[in-house]
Amino acid sequence: MNKYNITEDYYNYINNNYNQPVYNQANFNKAAMSNSLYDPYNGFIRGNMFPDLYNAYKTANPYEIRPMNEQAELLTYIDALSFATIDLNLYLDIYPDDRDALALFNQYRIQKNEYMKKYESKYGPLLINSDALENYPWAWDNNPWPWQNK
Amino acid sequence: MWLYEKKLEYPVNITKKDLKMAKYLMAQYGGPDGELAASLRYINQRYTMPDEKGRALLTDIGTEELAHVEIISAMISQLTAGATIKELEDAGLGAHFTQHDHALFPTDAVGVPFTTAYIEATGDYIADLESNMAAEQRARATYEHLMDLTEDPDLLAPLAFLRQREIIHYQRFKELRNYYLKKKI
Repeated sequence: MNKYNITEDYYNYINNNYNQPVYNQANFNKAAMSNSLYDPYNGFIRGNMFPDLYNAYKTANPYEIRPMNEQAELLTYIDALSFATIDLNLYLDIYPDDRDALALFNQYRIQKNEYMKKYESKYGPLLINSDALENYPWAWDNNPWPWQNK
Repeated sequence: MWLYEKKLEYPVNITKKDLKMAKYLMAQYGGPDGELAASLRYINQRYTMPDEKGRALLTDIGTEELAHVEIISAMISQLTAGATIKELEDAGLGAHFTQHDHALFPTDAVGVPFTTAYIEATGDYIADLESNMAAEQRARATYEHLMDLTEDPDLLAPLAFLRQREIIHYQRFKELRNYYLKKKI
């Protein structure tokens, strides 16, 4: 298996490292909408969670993300879950009564927060209200910044 | 207020210096249908949206567009990193160097500086939403032109992502416009 096959790694990572996801304990209707949307990784690489709205240009297949190290790999899971919440957020602004979309939004939001904690404890804060800022010395200005080539 | 998240919405890691593409990409930084204009346009229009749906959608899309400004800026910054004066001149960026050295500066692809005239606001939410739908379509077309101009996957991947977001934003603006027309707000 290619080490950087992120699709497979994404599922392995979630299955192996995500014990007792918080969302399993909540009374969410998980299945209903997730079947009709892309999963977070496949939505992320397309820039679109909604298969009926997906419209490709020039390239037959979406570009896979190929993280070069563990930090980038963990960040990709956060990127994917974060993207899923952004796209569902815009949808819910128009359809606030869609219970399935709301459940899915919260499922991904909670998963994202869990991965953020995991990432921040290892690599430093992603948000200025992160618990990782309790560490000495001040970690917010650590390199690299997101626009810098890695 | 806004809270900064220390990551890009979509990763940018460019390995090949390409100053011509950097110049072309400025269309989506400081051009009329660029990300900066889109972000300011939507955030500014939200004050005259008639209900919670409109206020939410314009805030949230305006916020996402700020993240797109950051993606485009990261691409231009990485594409021009370490460029010599000769290389900048050869790519048509000699005038840019004269005024801005290696700094980013929001212009369009030709070098015309960003102007607030790009921030359309009529106070009429139907007119504004239909204008936004058209702006999203123009931005989609511009992304397709940019994708036509390169074969570098480091550029094509984020461009394809950004182009797809224009399609979603167009769709949500259209749904909001149709909702208002149907409801006769």
